[in-house]
Amino acid sequence: MLSNPILRTYLLIAGGLLLFAGAAIVLLKFVLKKNAEHAWKSFRGWLIMIPLIVGAVLLGRTATIIFLGVVAITGFTEFARATGLYRDWLITGLVYLGLAAVTVVTLISPPDDPRLVGWYGMFMALPVYVVAGILLMPILRDRTKGQLQLLALGMVGFIYIGWMFGHLAFLMNGRNGVGWLLFLLFSVPLCDVAAFTFGKIFGRHKLRPNISPNKTWEGSLGALAVGMALPWIFRFSLPGFGTRELLLAGLIVGAGSQLGDLSISVIKRDIGIKDMGALIEGHGGVLDRIDSLIYVAPLFFHMTRFFIGIE
Amino acid sequence: MEEWDYEPTPDFDRTPLDKLRVFPRHPDMLVYALRLALHALMRTWLRLYHRYRVFGREHLPRDQPFVLVANHGSHLDAIALLSALPLTAIQTAYPAAAKDYFFTTTTKVAFSAIVVNAMPFDRKENPRESIELCRDLLETPGHVLILFPEGTRSATGAMAAFKPGIGFLIAGTNIPVVPCHLDGAWRAWPKGAWFPRPRRLTLRVGVPMVFADVPADKEGAKRVAAELESAVRLLV
Repeated sequence: MLSNPILRTYLLIAGGLLLFAGAAIVLLKFVLKKNAEHAWKSFRGWLIMIPLIVGAVLLGRTATIIFLGVVAITGFTEFARATGLYRDWLITGLVYLGLAAVTVVTLISPPDDPRLVGWYGMFMALPVYVVAGILLMPILRDRTKGQLQLLALGMVGFIYIGWMFGHLAFLMNGRNGVGWLLFLLFSVPLCDVAAFTFGKIFGRHKLRPNISPNKTWEGSLGALAVGMALPWIFRFSLPGFGTRELLLAGLIVGAGSQLGDLSISVIKRDIGIKDMGALIEGHGGVLDRIDSLIYVAPLFFHMTRFFIGIE
Repeated sequence: MEEWDYEPTPDFDRTPLDKLRVFPRHPDMLVYALRLALHALMRTWLRLYHRYRVFGREHLPRDQPFVLVANHGSHLDAIALLSALPLTAIQTAYPAAAKDYFFTTTTKVAFSAIVVNAMPFDRKENPRESIELCRDLLETPGHVLILFPEGTRSATGAMAAFKPGIGFLIAGTNIPVVPCHLDGAWRAWPKGAWFPRPRRLTLRVGVPMVFADVPADKEGAKRVAAELESAVRLLV
């Protein structure tokens, strides 16, 4: 894997960013004597997450897909616990099976064409089978009270966290899987950082005060601008992308990462909680970390597949 | 339209390790599944490696909470006793384990909570509170509490006297206590050995005893402990 020049470049960027962020925190804390507690916690989270994902990518396609599958299961568990769906073991169990199926069909070849990697047809058809299965549960138990809520939560849990996020893993089956995956894994958090920074410096007008009171239009536009620039900066990892694809990729990353963030916020505000879990110190739950990727990954996947093809 | 009523699980905002530390633990599907799979494996292991046999299984009460007490020779004991129960019962069977030993490091907590389904028993600072916790557990049908009244593993293989704690828990109640004797555990895995040896394990399950008419005081507790101890010794 290390022979892949794209991966090597990203490793250098990751090292550089971590060093830069670490130095910034040291500067903040010891030279400017500011309170850097929050930044430090967040930084420690990255010190764990980056080696994990880099390790998985270095181990190859199978390890990466399984790693992302475990992330999806963890994310769905948080969702199910926070919404209360977890109390229904039958539907939760079925969604777990669906999540496992997403990983399996991402790994195997279609039975009719063993040359292909990843069973794309079944990957796309899975929501049909899982939704059909979820709909079956109240019928099997002859229940009606509160069932629509459970059905809806099960479907959102599977389609949104399992299947939409699953596109990120399916990208690994493409001819430039590592490049696409790492592009998303780097540019999406960078957009988050840009939104935060622009908001801090220029923020005046609230973006969506009911959903996320700290977000501002200024931060959002700044993140969009950075997102539009990122595909050009990371062009080395997007071979075959022309102007049209680079523009679309920028739009998807710049706008999509914020929309993903807001979508999870809608769910959290409706439930009335702050974080989805407590797995990653300084970041909340897994779902709080991957919210943007969930939204961006499938859009990026289908844009790429439509214009330049995946295989 | 009426608003939806979300009810997050009570431990949703805890870290995985914290979830395992609290007791009673909230039911967790993934933990249950993992525990079930591991128990199926461990039962096979006991059968093949230790040629484990259980006599008197028919004495185990059905559809009511009960306490299993046994001699304590090794770390295999809790697993062996759990393996005498039906596989469907292990999620609500709780061996009491020393909090100061089994609920310290991450590995120990994970093992005690996931594999053994242990109840952290605070034998040093708060034994009374832990006994209260045991009593609460035994109010639910289907719950099984597994206790080793010697308080610690035997260093020599010989059984020590039962401590009166068990007596405080059940004197004056209708909860049946099942005395058991596990033979071979100390020889299979004595204190200090790093891996179990392939010695034969045999469990003898005795007839349930009830101490409803024993007064719940110090004397009564001692009497219960002594009676249970001799019941276990008789099973040898």
